[in-house]
Amino acid sequence: MVLELQKPRPIWQIMFSTHHTDVGLMYLITSLIFLFMGGALALAIRAELFLPGSQIIADSMTFNRMFTVHGTTLIFLFLLPFASAVGNYFVPIMVRYKDMAYPKLNAIAFWMIPPAAALIWLGFADFTWYANPPYSIISAPGPAADMWIFGLKILGISSVLGAINFIVTILKCKHPDMSMGQIPLLAWSFLTSSLIVLVAIPTFAAALFFFFSDRLGVSGFFNPAMGGNPIAYAHLFWFTFHPEVYVLVIPAIGMMYEIIPRFSRKPIFSHSSGIFAFVLLSMVSFSSWAHHMYATGMSFTEKTVFMIGTLAAVPASAMHVFNFIATMWNGRIKFATPMMWAVGGIALFFSAGAGGVVNAAMPLDFQTHDSYWVVGHFHLFVMGTIAFGSIGFLYYLFPYVTGRMYNERCQEESMIILQSQNGLL
Amino acid sequence: MGHHSNWPEWIYIGVVIALMVWVGSEAWNAERLVEHIPADAEVIKVTGQQWFWSFEHEDGTKEIGELHVKVGKAYKFEITSKDVNHSFNIHDYVVLLDAVPGRINTVWFAPKEVGEHDIQCREYCGLIHYNMRGKLIIEEADTTS
Amino acid sequence: MKSILGLFLVLAILVIIPAAHFVFAAGDEPDGYLDRRVVIWNLFYRMMTVAFTVGAVVSGTMIWLCWRFRESHPKATPTPYEKEGVW
Repeated sequence: MVLELQKPRPIWQIMFSTHHTDVGLMYLITSLIFLFMGGALALAIRAELFLPGSQIIADSMTFNRMFTVHGTTLIFLFLLPFASAVGNYFVPIMVRYKDMAYPKLNAIAFWMIPPAAALIWLGFADFTWYANPPYSIISAPGPAADMWIFGLKILGISSVLGAINFIVTILKCKHPDMSMGQIPLLAWSFLTSSLIVLVAIPTFAAALFFFFSDRLGVSGFFNPAMGGNPIAYAHLFWFTFHPEVYVLVIPAIGMMYEIIPRFSRKPIFSHSSGIFAFVLLSMVSFSSWAHHMYATGMSFTEKTVFMIGTLAAVPASAMHVFNFIATMWNGRIKFATPMMWAVGGIALFFSAGAGGVVNAAMPLDFQTHDSYWVVGHFHLFVMGTIAFGSIGFLYYLFPYVTGRMYNERCQEESMIILQSQNGLL
Repeated sequence: MGHHSNWPEWIYIGVVIALMVWVGSEAWNAERLVEHIPADAEVIKVTGQQWFWSFEHEDGTKEIGELHVKVGKAYKFEITSKDVNHSFNIHDYVVLLDAVPGRINTVWFAPKEVGEHDIQCREYCGLIHYNMRGKLIIEEADTTS
Repeated sequence: MKSILGLFLVLAILVIIPAAHFVFAAGDEPDGYLDRRVVIWNLFYRMMTVAFTVGAVVSGTMIWLCWRFRESHPKATPTPYEKEGVW
């Protein structure tokens, strides 16, 4: 346990340490910085959209750049590092090992984030976080696009290194007396999400290589003018980034599994169904990627297959909700700040999931696709479920890390404000 | 752990799966209905480019930014793009399909009432994407015959 | 008692909803050209009906849970795990 405020250490000792708690702290601080930066962009975007026409942001290109960097920042520089922070801090403690399996690799994975973030922010690309070829190949301006590619490339490597580290730590370094079924659900969530990362990320890494050589004009994988097919990029991209959403949401659910039993004063209703649902989610996450592409002119059969694959994710998610409700049942619930965030997160998880079912139902997708419905659905997941679980866990972790208590009343107010904002979203 | 029965969870999962089966079959059925293109549908070639829409009717008439169709006929759009991805959308008629260069996507609709509707691009395509609009003008069937 | 309730729930999903579906679907047969607006918006409203019903049940359950099992509720009793201090 690091009681930083009671026994202060010089900052460089924390920065250049390879101990898992210090790396976890660095991840945490980085992710919170980017939460504020990405959030500032969101405020600017929403302020601009308050009235039709252009008021605050001078031209549409600046606006396009802002929502691109907003998306990239909050997904890759806030949510992923936050999950890594919690994982770094708690996975070794939960499997009762002295550190991560590869401490230096761990520190390297963290130190890849600042340069990648610098590339993304200094470039300020404009092609949305999806990078949308052939637009991004033939007409996206300047070095911004190339800087985005390299930024994402570095972040991909960082994620893969982190995932390897988690998997090895959990499988190989757990205490010999601890069976797989006894591993806490938070650690299980990191195991399953790391497995998803290992399978999914290389696809996007390959797509980025093709994409970059297309931009150089060397190849034409995604450039129809050279005989390529932009839909191929869509497949490669979503094969990585649909599972990536589960990479984000699974640790957040794991964090709720820590918070809810603690404040309900009861153990988790069913540990094994939680594990089962995690494993199931990680598998079905790969069966649904092309539901992002109904509108690209897919055949009826393809659409049917991916609709079924998408709906298959619902029972597993519903099992988690059941587990939470059954854990709270007959408890004596203390509504401290983390519990309020977690319960709010469950409610929003349901709304997000219900919206997802509508998106997956083929004909309705043609009404919701590329519209604010999808924006709302996605934000209910990332801001509603994932950020609520994460921020709740941040309050849960705060006394543990610092040895001090936060101002409970102030945080309750912030939670209520954010919950009502999500309703408005 | 383990001092409770598991059947409420099984019933709950059964209910969730039944609901999903219902959603899936309903959606499948509706999609089957709307995807069935009538044999006598008139072809309109739709081309998106930065940042306007052009249309070509079966008889060779070309239009830019405006599309004139007649009530009571079925139209089949063959949608493609000249440069980057666009998405052809007539929101009021729930017509939406991507315009992808090097690829022809088809969708059909049959206008029911006289009126004017917006056509818009619904896939980010660059600087003036926000203003890549057109007009769908639905006319009486007997004006030309 | 509880099992009967559960059974009814399953039956409702398995029997009543498909029956209702047939009633709804009877109007879907196209005369002339099919109006895709009608098909799609119909589907949307039916799904929204189900979604809001399920949502009401889920959020109602959660609100009741939070109300009934809060520690300040008059009937709140310590859980069996609290006495052992381990959970």
